[in-house]
Amino acid sequence: MAGTKREEVEETLKRIEAHKGVIGTILVNAEGIPIRTTSDHHTTVQYARLLRSLTMMARSTVRDIDPQNDLTFLRIRTKKHEILVAPENDYLLIVIQNPCE
Amino acid sequence: MPPRKPKSGKSSAGSKGKGKKIQTQMEKQDLELSNQDHPEYIFPMVLTSATQELFDCQADEDVTGESPYKLLEKDDIIQDIKTRAAVSDFSPVKQIVLDYPEDELLLVYDRDFTYGQSFYLVLTPEAKDRILNPPKPEIPEVFENEVVKTPEPKPWIPLGSDKEIDEEAFKESRKKLLYKFSRVRKKFGVPVCFSDRNTADAKDDYLECASYRDSRFSIKQLQRDCGIQAVPRLQSSSAQTQWKFQKNIFTQYTPRELSVEEKENILHLENLKNFCNSVTPRVLQALQQEGIMNVFFDDWKALGSAAEDGDWAGKVSEGLMLHQAFTDQKYTKDKKICSINWHPTIYGVIAVALTDKKKEQLNESVVRASFILFYTFADPSNPQLLLECPDDIFAFEFCPSDPNIIVGGCVNGQVVLWDISAHVTCLQGTQPGKKVSVNTDVCDFNQDLDDSKEHKTPIVRYCAVSALESSHKAPITDVQWLPTTFEVTRTGLPVENMYNISSQLVTCSPDCTIMFWDVRVSKPMSHSASEMRPNTDQKTPYSTPDTFKHLDRTWKPLFKVFLPKIDTSGEYAPLKFNLEHYNCNDNTGRNTEANENGDSSKVIPDYSQLSVPLAQTLNALEDVNTKLYIGTEDGEIIYTDWKLGKDDSGRMQSAKPLHCFSIHHWLVNTVQRSPFFKDIILTMGSWNFAIWKEGVMDGPIILSASSEQVCTVGCWSLSRPAVFFIGKEDGSIEVWNLLVKTSEPVQVHSNVTNAKITCIKPWTASSKQHFLAVTDDIGMVRVFEIPKTLYVPSRSESLNVKKYFELEEDRLKDFLRREELWEIQKKKAEDLKKRTELDKPVNSLVENEEVNMKEYNDYLMLEESVLKGMGLWQAPAYTQDT
Repeated sequence: MAGTKREEVEETLKRIEAHKGVIGTILVNAEGIPIRTTSDHHTTVQYARLLRSLTMMARSTVRDIDPQNDLTFLRIRTKKHEILVAPENDYLLIVIQNPCE
Repeated sequence: MPPRKPKSGKSSAGSKGKGKKIQTQMEKQDLELSNQDHPEYIFPMVLTSATQELFDCQADEDVTGESPYKLLEKDDIIQDIKTRAAVSDFSPVKQIVLDYPEDELLLVYDRDFTYGQSFYLVLTPEAKDRILNPPKPEIPEVFENEVVKTPEPKPWIPLGSDKEIDEEAFKESRKKLLYKFSRVRKKFGVPVCFSDRNTADAKDDYLECASYRDSRFSIKQLQRDCGIQAVPRLQSSSAQTQWKFQKNIFTQYTPRELSVEEKENILHLENLKNFCNSVTPRVLQALQQEGIMNVFFDDWKALGSAAEDGDWAGKVSEGLMLHQAFTDQKYTKDKKICSINWHPTIYGVIAVALTDKKKEQLNESVVRASFILFYTFADPSNPQLLLECPDDIFAFEFCPSDPNIIVGGCVNGQVVLWDISAHVTCLQGTQPGKKVSVNTDVCDFNQDLDDSKEHKTPIVRYCAVSALESSHKAPITDVQWLPTTFEVTRTGLPVENMYNISSQLVTCSPDCTIMFWDVRVSKPMSHSASEMRPNTDQKTPYSTPDTFKHLDRTWKPLFKVFLPKIDTSGEYAPLKFNLEHYNCNDNTGRNTEANENGDSSKVIPDYSQLSVPLAQTLNALEDVNTKLYIGTEDGEIIYTDWKLGKDDSGRMQSAKPLHCFSIHHWLVNTVQRSPFFKDIILTMGSWNFAIWKEGVMDGPIILSASSEQVCTVGCWSLSRPAVFFIGKEDGSIEVWNLLVKTSEPVQVHSNVTNAKITCIKPWTASSKQHFLAVTDDIGMVRVFEIPKTLYVPSRSESLNVKKYFELEEDRLKDFLRREELWEIQKKKAEDLKKRTELDKPVNSLVENEEVNMKEYNDYLMLEESVLKGMGLWQAPAYTQDT
């Protein structure tokens, strides 16, 4: 059972990674420690740390304005690429994608 | 008054008597008239001078303008009237005078004739009074009225409010009672003793004065309105609060990490799966959105940037503009230019190689000096530097890592090296902004072959030539340096380039070989080279640099690559080739260090000290593309690998070329890689050109139609991926833009020169200056400026071009696939046809006969019926009669 679960997770992540333009994916746990990544160590750690605090701040902003609301997705568009952050109750999924042009 | 009758009076009276009548008549008239314009009490009249004397009212004597009033006695007037009766002046007013109540009448001298006559009589006493005593004018009694009086207090009139106030007021109804209590004097000072006593113990010990309702009188409790104001008590006070929130802060020096097992554990958790399931759709949607379109794309801005605003100040030239033309009478006579190169670092310096037009050598003994000329922009008619060549040079190149090293390929197959480091200042001195005087000083140092008094062009002799026996057997048509990123070993294996310098080059020649050379000292040869060195020293009288002394005349190639034909025996004769420049992506520490050291001042290595490293010491680079595209004499394009492989006998042999395409019909004159795409190659043959993609082995992805003129040379534009230039035999230049038209050029500049164009080379001097150097058959070099339309790439041009190439590639593949399909179909159709043809003739014969019989029978019946109708029917013997 655990094995299949693991495979499902893997499969899902692979689907995302195989999408067009994706440079890297990072899976971060509740404390900000990267669990699984496709980029090099240094970049991963940096992304995990910075994006976690940013996501927390974004979420608190949303909830301050309306306590019934919650953050579902965060998209940061930079000059070079786009960073997608999907927070959920415990984990954080970070995807870095190159724009189409 | 006694009447006096002076003479004058008489005369006047006399005259006046007559006049009087008239006057009295006039007075009467006047009376009537004057009734209208004077008040009633005024009676204007004329008084004769006699009357005037009589009454002492002579004009201007007794009465004047200032005191015009004269009182006349009534009696006098009456007497006068009686005396003179009708003659009297007063006769008209006789009645009035008689009636006049008072005794005196007022006569007023009317100086101004206000009432028509010189005198007037006031008829009423009131008027007299009024005139005499005019009422005093009213002096405005302002002052008295305007004295401000302090308002006196008016006595107060009570309207009933005082009663209310009385009611409300609190007055004592009786005098206050005063009770005075005091102790008996004798008890003062007595010591006191206190004791406890409980009130609850003795009920009667205290006296209660309870309140009770006294029935004798009742105090009615009145309700009284009372005003109250609650005033808040204000008090100044201060407090101090902390400004900042206390927050937990922590710092971390190393990031926290999980061990592998922990990660594994987490990956197996259920909630991770849930998380993934819930998050994935969102992420995929976002990714897809990104792929669909770019929402942040600013169309407006992009529109503006594509139009390239700003610089279009009037003249917009669409075509190539002639910037400068270079020629030299002395050296370029009867010569054509075979090769041209821009100096890689110095601005505006072009080097051209001149070769004889006539192919046969007239006299072998007469060595005609051949030169490579250096022109600069500053001096278009004189070359700045000459490189002496042992023979005509067909191709030459600057070394990419050291622009002072030039290698050239001779017509006799030798490879020649020059070092112009001593004379670089000549070229640099002619840069804009630098003084020319410095230039001439340096140039004077060199000895010249030709002593021209005006102007000494320095000549540099070559420092090294290759060994004659090991060189090519035919003229070298193409020379290329290997880039600084890799080098090759003796077997053709690409290895790391330790020093990041270009020290190897490749030459090709129609003797069917491609040779790799190394400019460094090769170890086994070092001994013989050192022996040979003193000999060469004596031989060369001129001052030549010692850079390549180790190579002179003993230079041998590293290895040779042969080009055996694929299908048949024999070999290809290459004319031009092209190799892929390798960019090392991973900058290892060593490379970057070397770069940092050498960046500020280019470390020009001493080539004689460098030696070819052993193959084993260097790391092999796996991903270098070792394949060459070669264009041959017969118009074929060959794709081959230069690595030597071992054949059956164990010797190193060149591999057979991988592919060969016979696309062009004659000599291939250009094989050039696109500066933007590593795998796109432009080849040009005599009448058409083709674009190839490396990796597509089926043929060129684009093949142009044959043109009328022979294409002599072509080159890619350095700044636009879709643009390239073609030079033609009639001296015209065509500009092609693949994104605009693919079947014909975008621009044709005809008659750029009268002769055949031999070379075209573009150069980007700065971001605004793009030059195109064009050389021709008569030795002239023309430098054109490329207009902005041709050097500024259009928006996402490289992407569009890439797409176009991919499209062409797909088309080619599709075409080939279809060709195969058609072949198969054709075969099938043929087989089918063969089979069906055998059956056909039998069937058709039978069918035809049946049809014929039927027609004949019908005809017989028709004949029968017709003849019967006519009564001529003769029954045939064998038929029955009806």
